[in-house]
Amino acid sequence: MARKQETPSPRPSSSPEEPFWRRNRREIIFLVLFLVLLGGGFTLISVNWVNDHVIEPFTAVIAQVSGGILGLMGQKVTMNGTIISNARFAVNIRNGCNGVEAMLIFLAAVLAFPAPWRSRLAGLGLGILVIQIVNLIRVVALFLTGVYFPKLFDTSHTVIWQTIVILSGVLLWIYWANRYAHPPRETAA
Amino acid sequence: MAPAKPAAPPARRNWGALLVRNVLLALVPVWLVWALLTPFYNRFLLVSTRNLLHLTESPSVTELPRRDEHYAYVQRMDFPPAKSLVHSFRVTDLHFHFVLLGALFLAVPGIPWRERLSNLGVASVITIFFDILLLFFYVKFVYATQLGDWSVTHYGAFARNFWGLGKHLLDLPFKLSLPLVLWAAFYFRRLVV
Repeated sequence: MARKQETPSPRPSSSPEEPFWRRNRREIIFLVLFLVLLGGGFTLISVNWVNDHVIEPFTAVIAQVSGGILGLMGQKVTMNGTIISNARFAVNIRNGCNGVEAMLIFLAAVLAFPAPWRSRLAGLGLGILVIQIVNLIRVVALFLTGVYFPKLFDTSHTVIWQTIVILSGVLLWIYWANRYAHPPRETAA
Repeated sequence: MAPAKPAAPPARRNWGALLVRNVLLALVPVWLVWALLTPFYNRFLLVSTRNLLHLTESPSVTELPRRDEHYAYVQRMDFPPAKSLVHSFRVTDLHFHFVLLGALFLAVPGIPWRERLSNLGVASVITIFFDILLLFFYVKFVYATQLGDWSVTHYGAFARNFWGLGKHLLDLPFKLSLPLVLWAAFYFRRLVV
């Protein structure tokens, strides 16, 4: 599906006579690996045991930290597991709001990209940290939206913040892959 | 001390930063266009998916009537009228990935606008088919898992897991990552040059 490019190809051995899969093998390998890792990751977190013993406790930590930040901002909130509430509003942080989806997409993209392991590990560490910071901002902003602008909550919840969190993962990956990943170049046969 | 890696050429290093800047600039205009088109796209999506569902039903019993601009119902015409609206859902939530898709495809630096728009057009067609498939799975998921005894009577354990896992995978990982997958399919080489 990749189009003819204006910049020189990194693969001097490719030629238009080669079959499609050979000409586009890097793209195909990346996409297949990415989808397999992504599907595997999401299937794994949908298993009840993993959800109960890993995702739920992780989400509860996010709720605690978000509640702490809201407390520092003067909101008198109480936390109960994954629920943050005050007298005017309550949110239950569930799958889709804990940043795990964006983390898994970023993780699958980094692992599927042809790069040295050192670059991958550095990218994963920094990327996951940034995604979680963006997600914390989302939870806090959504709670405040629910308190002060409840009519905007639905749109803000899915359309705006979901897009921002996923976009942060996608842009981090593109930036990392382009600037720091340095995929090994193939040599001509 | 390990030898320093050769630095990437400036053009390559700047390309990623330019892309990120362009995406951020494109985000609001693309979001506005998407918000304007959403009521029309919701109707298209509901009608197309209903037609696809009818291909798998005999007799055709599923309707997807709109509640307002953003919400719709799943309706079964073989249920008593008072209970025929079996589920309500937000159609707009199914296709907000178009914002990401539009911003990513329009932001690629160093490519003529004609080519950017042409690639975005192809990616949009694929996304439309994906959205119809997603809504199809969503309705089947409702039938298989959300209607209590009726679901258990009409769908076996395998079918319930199949539609449930299918909807879970399409609605979260594949819906959210579709713009990235399509972008990589078109522009992967620019990342590795």
